[in-house]
Formats: sequence, structure tokens, C-alpha cells
Amino acid sequence: MSKIIEVHHLYKSFGAVEAVKDVSFYVEEGSLFSFLGTNGAGKSITISILLTLLKQDAGEVKVNGLTVGKEDEAIRKEIGVVFQQSILDPLLTVKENLDYRARLYKMTKEERPAAIERVAATVDISSIMNRRYGKLSGGQKRRVDIARALLHQPKILLLDEPTTGLDPQNRKQIWNTILQLQRENNMTVFLTTHYIEEAANSNYVVVMKAGEIIAKGTPHHLKSQYSADRLMILAKDSARLRRQLRTDEVVFTEEHSTFLIHLEKTTDAIVLLANYEELIDSFEVQKSSLDDVFIQIHNRKEDLHRDDCYEA
Amino acid sequence: MTVTKRNILLYFRDKSALFFSLLAVIILVLLYGTFLGNLISDSLPDFPAKKWLLLSWIFAGILAVTSVTTTLGAFGTLVEDRSTEANLDFYASPIKRSALFGGYVMSSIFVGFIMCLLVLLAANAIFFFSGDEMLTVLQVLKAIGVISLSVISSSSMILLLVSFFKTVKAFAAASTVIGTLLGFLAGIYIPIGNLPAYLQTVIKLFPTSHSAALLRQILMEQPMQETFAQAPASAKQEFLLDMGVFYEINGDFTSPLFSVLYLVGVAILFSILAAAFMNRKRS
Repeated sequence: MSKIIEVHHLYKSFGAVEAVKDVSFYVEEGSLFSFLGTNGAGKSITISILLTLLKQDAGEVKVNGLTVGKEDEAIRKEIGVVFQQSILDPLLTVKENLDYRARLYKMTKEERPAAIERVAATVDISSIMNRRYGKLSGGQKRRVDIARALLHQPKILLLDEPTTGLDPQNRKQIWNTILQLQRENNMTVFLTTHYIEEAANSNYVVVMKAGEIIAKGTPHHLKSQYSADRLMILAKDSARLRRQLRTDEVVFTEEHSTFLIHLEKTTDAIVLLANYEELIDSFEVQKSSLDDVFIQIHNRKEDLHRDDCYEA
Repeated sequence: MTVTKRNILLYFRDKSALFFSLLAVIILVLLYGTFLGNLISDSLPDFPAKKWLLLSWIFAGILAVTSVTTTLGAFGTLVEDRSTEANLDFYASPIKRSALFGGYVMSSIFVGFIMCLLVLLAANAIFFFSGDEMLTVLQVLKAIGVISLSVISSSSMILLLVSFFKTVKAFAAASTVIGTLLGFLAGIYIPIGNLPAYLQTVIKLFPTSHSAALLRQILMEQPMQETFAQAPASAKQEFLLDMGVFYEINGDFTSPLFSVLYLVGVAILFSILAAAFMNRKRS
């Protein structure tokens, strides 16, 4: 697969604030790529540069082989963007909105209705075409936003926190649409999110914090690298188990009457369970969620920073 | 063209913005209707065709105000797009920034022009129903020419002004203030002759005063012939100066050509300033 987006050593500062510091990554064509990070991590700045809305201070960004800053107008034809906030005109109908935006791509009178019909079918908004955009629900607006982004049949669909503020049902629906677009139309989907569970759907995840990339990999890779499972034991006799674990030098913590043991591998649980079988009332092996991974990555990075401070 | 059409549609769909851009005009009509009209009328001696002449004078003023406030109202779209970040969608689309800004300017010129035409139409209708002569075709054409010029020069001034406003609220507040001040600064609420010398100077410098003067010259042409048929030339001249039909600058009277050139000059100067300001802000 070829690289459709390439970012090399990107820097961007606003006054004294370094919003993006030496960021490099690439996106493979046809993949679903997630850009993860808390608010203010530098995600939005990075995508603004990708979208040719902001000029970088240093570094090179290429979109489908075109260089940002040199071939901006061509790049704008390659990317369809769904902004975080609703940006279409509330006083115009869905159809009018789509028609005016289609004109921005110099579509002819004959091309426009066909394009509008195509995108309306894709995101299933045919029934609300004559309603005013401002009167739509959050989920409906979002679908229209996606339709607008697809008008010019872009190679890349870029979504900035597409599901923020939506209810679970709408979120799921939007996700199905996104996944369908990626699979069936072989579209490259680049999205930013701060919901870790959404990133689990993607082929590749880049985690940003304070302007830097702090982790990257497939969701599976991140999980295995940063997470660990734990064994939860409810003891028959807490005092005896506590004594036994101490003598065996097993590291554990206690929460209420539950013993928690950190596992390097899930299978480590078998040995432990066999050893203390007669003391165990019930047990559970917990797989860590991506949420735990996210928190883990964040904390580790914080520890690193703290160490830096001590050294200095 | 795309942006132009979209903006025009938005202006006419947004009923409250439409109302507010006409607010200054509505206030003006109410003021004339309740007391300003009588006040001005009472301050003048009786003469033939007095009502017709004053009505024409008033309509010229209303037209001048309309040419500014409706243009200003249409520029609200630009401020709103900026504050809601709706403009990002245009920036991320393959259209040139110059085409985008051109779209905002063209739409406001169009809106101002259409609204002024409606006022002109209303004026003619009122002349018709009050039994006065309507404007001739030539006068209407001349008035349309002045309206175009006035709208274009207003739009260039407003373009510079809107670059300073970040929020819709600030812009709305400024619009109200401008709408109100406009009536004074162009000698429309109170005739220029009733004002102290320093204010007269301000009025003569203010571009909209020249739109108003040109429109007065056109709209008042017929009633003036009737009014001053038997009057001495000096009385006519004094009246015209007091009412701001033309102005006295350094002992000379302003000709229509001077006012036209003044408006053209303003349009060019402010367009350059606005373009320079926007370029500086972008880099």
C-alpha cells in the first residue's frame, strides 16, 4: 500500500507556545487512521496544516504526493473534511447547502444533482433534503456534514471529532457510515477523536500529547505494549491468603475484600490460581481496555517528564 | 458567484438581520412621521409645493441611509461566518480567497442596490398617491446611477470596518451606532444649515452626505422648479445650501461631478486600505 499522507518533522508555534513539536507519521492509502489525544494535544493544529488552513513553521507535509504550501488548491480537491462544529448554513435547506458547496468544486449544473443524489444515498439523508439544516438533530446534521465532505469524491475523508456530542445510537450510526465508506469505497479515512474505543476500529493509531507523538501502532499493538491484565480474587479467608501471598512474594493490592494481582501475561493467572486454589472463593481475569491503555500511555509519559525535571 | 448567491439568499432568509439592517430606515421614517417632518416644515416659510419638496428631500435622505445600512447588514454574513468558523469550509475548498471576499463584497452591493430600488419604488408610489408628479424615466435612471455609486462606496468603507469585528454581537452593536449616527453625519435628521460650523465641516467630509446631495438634486428637481418659479435666485441658493442639496467648500459650491468624483475616490481609497489590511492580517 502506498502512503497517501506523509508528515515529516512538523513544527508549529503560536508565540511562545509550541503547539506541534517534531511530529512525523504517515497514513496508508485506504486505511482508517485515528489521531488520538486529549483536547489541546495538537491534533487540530496538525490537521489544520494538512487542510492547508494553517502554515507550518517547519517540516514537510505531503497529501497524495502534493506538497502542502505549494499545491494547496490541488490538495483541497483530494480531501473531504467534516469539521468538529457544524459549519453549513442553518437557514438553508440541506439540498441548498449541498448545492452551494458543490459549486465550490466548479461542478456543472448537470453534475450537481447527480453528486447530491449520490452522497444523500450514501449517508441516508434523502428524506430530509428539503428541511432546513438549522432545524435538524445533531445526528442528522453530522450525516449532512459527511455528505458535504463527499460531494467532490475525495480520496481522503478527514473527520475532526465526528461523534463528539452525539448520543450512543447516533454515534454508532455515524461509525457504520464511516466504516462502510472506508471498506466499500476504499477511501482513506483520517479521524481525530478523544474516545479511545473509537480508535479500536482503526488500522493505525497515533497518540498525541502536548504537541508530541507519544505512541503509535495498531490498536492491538498498543494494547499489548501498554496494557497488562490483572487477576481479581475474592478470598475465602482473606487473612490467610494475605499471609500466603506475602511469603510467596507476590505483589498485590487490596481493594475492599478483593485482591488484585498484576499479570505480565494472561496465562500467569493459571499458576496463581492453582497455587491458592483452596483459599479462593471466586476470581476474574480482567483484560485491560483501550481506556486503560490510554491512561497508561499518558501516565508513563508524565513519569518520564517528571524524571526529566529531577535530573535538571 | 457561488458565494455571492449564497450570501444574498442568507440575507433575505434571515428575517431578523433583514429587519435590523432596515432599522435605521424605519426609525428615520418614524421620526419624520411623528415630529421631525413638522419641525423642519415649521422652520421654513411657506412656499409653493412645500410638502412635495420636503417629501422629496426626505426620500433622498432615506435612500442615502438605506444604501449604507443594508450594505452593512449584508456584511453581517462575513462576520458571522468568521465567528462560527463556517469560513473554514470555504478555506478548505478549492476557491481563491479573492473570490471568497469578492463574493461577500458583491453580495452586499447587490443587497444594498435591491433595497434602495425598493425604497425608490416606494417613493414613486407615494408621490403618485399624494397626487404629485412621479419621477421621470431619466431621473429614475440617474437615481439608479447614484444609488450604485453610493452602495459601492459604502461597501468599500464597510469592508475595512468589518475586518475589525470578531463577534456578531460587536458587529450588531456597531451597526446600530452607525445606523443612528449616519442620519446626523449626512445631514439627514437635521438639515445642515441648522447645525454649527464644525458639524457642517464633518458633514461635508462624510461620503454619504454626497450621495444624499446627489439624490436630493435628482429627486427635488421637479418640485424645486415649482417652488422657486417666482423666487429670487439668492433665496433659492440659500435654501439649497441650508438643505444640503449642494455644499459650500472654500467659497465654491460643489457640483454634481465633484460629489460623484468624491464617492469614486472614497470607493477606491477604502478598497485599497481594506485589501492592504486583510493581506497584512493573513501573513
